[in-house]
Amino acid sequence: MSENATPKPLLEVKDLAITFSTPDGPVHAVRDANFTVMPGETVAIVGESGSGKSTSALAAIGLLAGNGRVSAGQILFDGEDIANASEKRFVELRGNHIGMVPQDPMSNLNPVWKIGFQVKETLKANGLAGDNPKKRVAQVLADAGLPNPEARANQYPHEFSGGMRQRALIAIGLACRPRLLIADEPTSALDVTVQQQILDHLDTMTSELGTAVLLITHDLGLAAERAEKVVVMYKGRVVEYGPALEILRNPKHPYTQRLINSAPSLSAVRGDKHEAAVEETSPAKAEPLLTVSNLTKVFDIRKGFGKKEKFTAVDNVSFEIPKGTTTAVVGESGSGKSTIAQMVLNLLDSTSGEITFDGQQIGNLSEKQLFKYRRRVQPIFQDPYGSLDPMYSIYRTIEEPLRIHGIGNSASRQKKVKELLNQVSMPAATMHRFPNELSGGQRQRIAIARALALQPEMIVCDEAVSALDVLVQAQVLELLDELQREMDLTYLFITHDLAVVRQIADNVCVMERGKIVEQGSVDDIFEAPKSDYTRNLLAAIPGATLI
Amino acid sequence: MLSFTLKRIAQLIPVFIGATLLVYFLVFATPGDPIAALSGGKPMTPATEAALRAQYNLDQPFWIQYGLYLKNLVTFDLGMSFSGQPVADLLGRAFPVTARLAILALLIEGVFGIIFGVIAGMRKGKFFDSTILVASLIVIAVPTFVLGFVLQFVIGVKLEWAKPTVSGAATWSELILPAMVLGLVSLAYVIRLTRTSVIENKSADYVRTATAKGLSRNRVVRVHVLRNSLIPVVTFLGADLGSLMGGAIVTEGIFNVPGVGNLLYRAILKGETPTVVAVVGVLVIVFVLANLIVDMLYALLDPRIRYA
Amino acid sequence: MPENQNFNSEAGLPVNRRAGKVSKYKMEHYVAPLDETPLQAVDSVKETGKPLSMWAEAWRSLRKQPLFIISAILILAVIIVAAFPQWFTSQDPTYCALENSNEPGREGHIMGFNLQGCDIYSRVIYGTRASLLVGIFTTLIVIIVGGTIGALAGFYGGWIDTILARLGDIFFALPLILGAIIVMQLPAFRENKSVWTVIITLAIFGWPQLARITRGAVIEARNADFVKASRSLGLSKFKSLVKHVLPNSLAPIIVVATVNLGVYIVAEATLSFLGVGLPPEIMSWGNDIASAQTQLRNNPMMLMWPALFLSVTVLSFIMLGDAVRDALDPKARKGA
Repeated sequence: MSENATPKPLLEVKDLAITFSTPDGPVHAVRDANFTVMPGETVAIVGESGSGKSTSALAAIGLLAGNGRVSAGQILFDGEDIANASEKRFVELRGNHIGMVPQDPMSNLNPVWKIGFQVKETLKANGLAGDNPKKRVAQVLADAGLPNPEARANQYPHEFSGGMRQRALIAIGLACRPRLLIADEPTSALDVTVQQQILDHLDTMTSELGTAVLLITHDLGLAAERAEKVVVMYKGRVVEYGPALEILRNPKHPYTQRLINSAPSLSAVRGDKHEAAVEETSPAKAEPLLTVSNLTKVFDIRKGFGKKEKFTAVDNVSFEIPKGTTTAVVGESGSGKSTIAQMVLNLLDSTSGEITFDGQQIGNLSEKQLFKYRRRVQPIFQDPYGSLDPMYSIYRTIEEPLRIHGIGNSASRQKKVKELLNQVSMPAATMHRFPNELSGGQRQRIAIARALALQPEMIVCDEAVSALDVLVQAQVLELLDELQREMDLTYLFITHDLAVVRQIADNVCVMERGKIVEQGSVDDIFEAPKSDYTRNLLAAIPGATLI
Repeated sequence: MLSFTLKRIAQLIPVFIGATLLVYFLVFATPGDPIAALSGGKPMTPATEAALRAQYNLDQPFWIQYGLYLKNLVTFDLGMSFSGQPVADLLGRAFPVTARLAILALLIEGVFGIIFGVIAGMRKGKFFDSTILVASLIVIAVPTFVLGFVLQFVIGVKLEWAKPTVSGAATWSELILPAMVLGLVSLAYVIRLTRTSVIENKSADYVRTATAKGLSRNRVVRVHVLRNSLIPVVTFLGADLGSLMGGAIVTEGIFNVPGVGNLLYRAILKGETPTVVAVVGVLVIVFVLANLIVDMLYALLDPRIRYA
Repeated sequence: MPENQNFNSEAGLPVNRRAGKVSKYKMEHYVAPLDETPLQAVDSVKETGKPLSMWAEAWRSLRKQPLFIISAILILAVIIVAAFPQWFTSQDPTYCALENSNEPGREGHIMGFNLQGCDIYSRVIYGTRASLLVGIFTTLIVIIVGGTIGALAGFYGGWIDTILARLGDIFFALPLILGAIIVMQLPAFRENKSVWTVIITLAIFGWPQLARITRGAVIEARNADFVKASRSLGLSKFKSLVKHVLPNSLAPIIVVATVNLGVYIVAEATLSFLGVGLPPEIMSWGNDIASAQTQLRNNPMMLMWPALFLSVTVLSFIMLGDAVRDALDPKARKGA
């Protein structure tokens, strides 16, 4: 391919507008969107949830939800306007001209059919099964990096891990060698190291096939690393569009600047740190508030017929958290990090080992002592939709801990709730509302207010910001940081995202399969990781090498 | 699959024992003389009374009584009716009739229920869907015996399309009308269940992915929506065999079908508790077996269950 | 291929040289004018509109539903009729004159007379109470018994759950009508036939279904983070069941109970029809339908009127259940 050949775009989106009709009137999900995908290149659409990034891409393959339609503009695929093409035309195009790799590997494979069947029907529908479809299926799966493809083709989705399912979905998306592949957050549900492997593989495959990729992601670092061009979308509009590296290094639109400043993956590399955390990195090692020593948790897994299997979720783990600091426990799914949180919160008994809080062992507390302990240690959980009781108003939610511990009368409690809302930067009027009326980040702030109500000394954050969009995530992290400074709080911060750790933590424990493989100060871990596992995790942070 | 089957059988044994124990307990351990319970409060000859005492081993402790009852049940030694006929013989004649009736009813509700349910689900909110929904609500609300009388009166007596009652032979064709009545309420449930299930599956992620693969709409519906939607329906149909047996008491009464329901109903009216206890025991066995079959079907349809 | 270095990802080697990609094609760097999409504060709280609890929101969507309005009005009417039958007819339903036997409707007796020459209309009106009593009280008992058992089994799990689940299976193996017939035949019940024996009998075989539903809902709710959070706040296990888990499990229970209320009314009528339900001296739709069956060919209306009232009542409860289900559907309100 030479520079001077007149480039003919593969996909050209012109003044695209997409409207959803809802009971409350039409919603304009996308307005005046323009971008182009050239043959063989990767274009990333970046934005928060609700920015219209997925909607724009789905319109190009005719998969808008039933109440959505292209209300203006054009989608030119190879010169043909498919914005309002017939279902018949789309059936022709899908698979062999435009392929798709969906977001959630858990729900996108039909659970009742074998993997091989689901690949084969793709090939058949596009007339590419050939004389020996079995062999083709195995080949396609092998190309996607699935080891032992003949045997794998005979298995059902539930016998696959998340990463393997995503590989199967990539195999399906690329089985018919489409010219354009729409990859809708293809790895956001996976652990970072798996994410990296899969994206690398996708890269290799698409460049071999000459397939252009429209990559949809919320992670600007990842977009810049994987795409030639980046489209930044905000509230249904394209706010910035240009060469990936240029946008990353020289963002012009304030929204893009905001995104780059908040993206944990990028700030992790820059080594950003909130000033407060820096100055507090205890010079004269403060007393440990929490000491975990040789903690082990073994679960019995029932196998039927009374058979049991032992599973060691947490294996001989020891660490200390000095008062007023943050210790992050990082690990991929199944590493046992959340089990530790549950044991520290005394929601789960340990099998062996000790947890000591302020000199007191919490393993065998009496009912009364436990009640007192609960007042001093509070949790914030991951799922902002699950951590607040939907039946309770915000006022009742925040007041509940005060009531349980018999603090104050109703007037003083009301005053306290207002104070707490103010502390988490929520208007006092919010207290009459209900959780379903708030966004994810706002719910998380309410959860923080509830945790603060009892003036605890330690807060256990179990993936507290993982479900939030980057900007909201940054905001909540900042809030946590401020509160730590004001109230001398101690945090145990559980996360799968090493990038976030750098923004919040003083010390880090890296966990793999129940064991701590490395622990130390944040700077040590990031600058001079000792174990291969930590190095792998660090290297897998997208965008790591671009700034 | 074999270990799955064994596991299920192992789980069903306590259910069988428990259910028969429940029936037995209700009849024999409630206050009052068990003989009075067995006789239905009617006077009987000393010979009958002696036969009953022997049949139920009333001189033995409760647990032995129950054990012997269970043994009699599985060896099909069901005792004598008041009229002196072996209950096993009566049941042997009635059972095939009810089996035919139940199979017909299951077929009707399965075939029409799934067809209507799928169409309604695919056209959610359209005219067909609304009509079917209203019709199914009405069918559920009107008691079976009223429906039975109305259909018998309209189709059998006024229109003379079918015989209003069934002959002693109870042939397949004679049983169609009663089977319709018997299956109608469940038909409504099957329609609603299939409809809900189709609507839910239609918007599943894997259906969208299947469409993105380039499959025709027809194939997406057949292979991805239908098969997945049928899983809960099959479970319902299997479990429904139980309520069909219960419903048969009413339906067989209306159409004079010489089946198990009729036998049971007459026995109840005559206060022949021994026959009732025996027949119900056999029915429990049928339900438990039906449950086993459902579990196996379920495992066949849904691979996740099989390997769980 | 652009200059990004690819590498053997299968080997899991860390790679530090991902340099990004540069397009072969020239392209401009487009920046939207700022006034087009003004930057808004991150995650601001909407302060307009009235705050709404889940129940308030469900109520708001309910009261606009025709299905709900119709069924609610009908149910209200049925309740009034059951409570004050004398408001609706001046006829004495027990006054029967044989010379009126099977007479068609005439002034003051719009529905005509039955075989014994009693006024059908007043019998239908006075028969409402028995049916409704059976429906309401069976439902209440089933909710209390089945709900408690299901909630305990679901919340505490372990051996309690195993035992209660098996117990439910055992009752499940006997269909409602079949089981009810057996119980109603027991001397203790046979000799004391009344509304209450019917209620108890139906409840004996009705609770396992509600227990299963409750158990499922409780298991779903008990794993929610807000329950864990409430425990960490210092709430005891039992209190968190009562204060957080149960209120969040109510929706499916309400729906099923409403629909079942109708089903129990049908079951009572079926039992009465079979001659093992309410005693003949209690006026009820089921009894009237049962006595009408012999007269179907001479006087079909004698069967149709009570059947119509029965069906409309049952239909209203089922429709109400449907409407409530739509309003409380958690899927419909997720992300709201």
